[in-house]
Amino acid sequence: MKTLLPSLLLFSSLASAQAWQTPRMPWGAPDLQGTWTNATITALERLDGLDELVITEEQARELERQDAGLAADIDNLPEGDLPAGKVVGGYNTAWLDAGTRMLRVKGEPRTSIIVEPKNGKVPYNIRGWSRYWWRMIKTQKRNNPEEQLLGDRCVVGFGSTGGPPMLPVLYNNNYQFVQSPGQVMILVEMNHAVRTIRIGGEPLPEQIRPWLGDSIGHWEGDTLVVETTRFHPQQSLRGAIKHQLYVGMNSKVTERFTRIGEQEIHYEFTVEDKTVYRRPWRGELTFRPADGQIYEFACHEGNYGMIGILAGEREQGVNGIRWLFELVTNMPEETDHEQLGPGRFNRKP
Amino acid sequence: MQKHLPLFCLTISAALWVPYKVWAHHAFSAEFDSKSPVTLQGTVTKVEWINPHAWVHLAVEQEDGTVIDWMVEAGTPNTLLRAGINKNSLPIGSEIVVRGYQSKDRSCKPACKANGRDMAFSDGRKVFMGSSGTGAPKDGLDPRDR
Repeated sequence: MKTLLPSLLLFSSLASAQAWQTPRMPWGAPDLQGTWTNATITALERLDGLDELVITEEQARELERQDAGLAADIDNLPEGDLPAGKVVGGYNTAWLDAGTRMLRVKGEPRTSIIVEPKNGKVPYNIRGWSRYWWRMIKTQKRNNPEEQLLGDRCVVGFGSTGGPPMLPVLYNNNYQFVQSPGQVMILVEMNHAVRTIRIGGEPLPEQIRPWLGDSIGHWEGDTLVVETTRFHPQQSLRGAIKHQLYVGMNSKVTERFTRIGEQEIHYEFTVEDKTVYRRPWRGELTFRPADGQIYEFACHEGNYGMIGILAGEREQGVNGIRWLFELVTNMPEETDHEQLGPGRFNRKP
Repeated sequence: MQKHLPLFCLTISAALWVPYKVWAHHAFSAEFDSKSPVTLQGTVTKVEWINPHAWVHLAVEQEDGTVIDWMVEAGTPNTLLRAGINKNSLPIGSEIVVRGYQSKDRSCKPACKANGRDMAFSDGRKVFMGSSGTGAPKDGLDPRDR
């Protein structure tokens, strides 16, 4: 029996290891195809009060419970008129589909998508930080459509949902991967944008700058490595409620996709640009099977929001000193983010 | 206290999440006036099931008998569909009560506009359930969700 037990254990571990093998396309490349989601309540940057990247399963469950409690509070405001004020929360959670779980990477509960630097924050240098704010303030003028966030303009999705890096936002966090021998296509549900990754291709000429950048891929073993450059200059500011990010038009984003299970794609990314960041920074996410299919999100179909923004500005907008005063005293939802305020430079790393 | 410190820190940080959840998206503060809450009771006249947001049109009768047309912004069709709500969930002629915020644009052309934060049938049933009752939308991460 003493000799039988280790053999049995060995056999069972071998059996579980053999239970799943990387599925492959007919031409041998790992099969990443399917409809996947990266929805999670974990933010891009680490929130204050959370020092560690990895927390215990119990802590993660506690945060998820608290988050569900907040959602219930939002949906169950007392009867009668809604409250009036500067920040009221315009929607109940039926509008949102941001996930209910903390991020797990290879089973580990995580407090931020960023893994490097260790403080879990984007390491902007002073130039990158000023550019970020300059672009963000310009979006708040609301007197023209051209300077609004790309999501509001229906050009590409909010924030960095289409990326790269591809990051979760408040809803439509679904992606369809389709492969051919020479290309990998990723359909991004928000706002129905498509990334076409050319395997072993040549970069586009310098002056051609597609939305979501120019992506070239290659396989390293079973990992799809994608390098993206040539970003469109208007895609630098990536504003959403879930994250705000500045990626330079000459930044380089390297992504690594590895299918590590039937229901799991491990996703890593590195962003490099000496003119914007003090150092390269890195993040990790998990893609899991989405529930059902992707629906078309033809955002231009009825974007009454843009009409409403511009008409509202004409009716209630303010100019000059008053505009500046309003901006400083009533920072808009996309910018009132203490991790991106000037105080971030006072914090110890 | 020392023992409870980590949990305390987590609670504080969870509180910081509030803005992510309660603050609006799609530039709410640019389009709607957070200082002008409205409660509208009326009859559904049309539902525009379009991207990026569905719009529900309703006729609201005033105390003097005149009728004002309102159009109310609702969730995005993709999210609503996944939550089990479709074009037929809100039939024409339904009596509904909407709580929301009026648009900054007060021209009321072609109709007065508001966002529809909460929508309920006149008997109290909610049109958009949100997290109440069934729990927040699932993300597929927890096998027990399935």
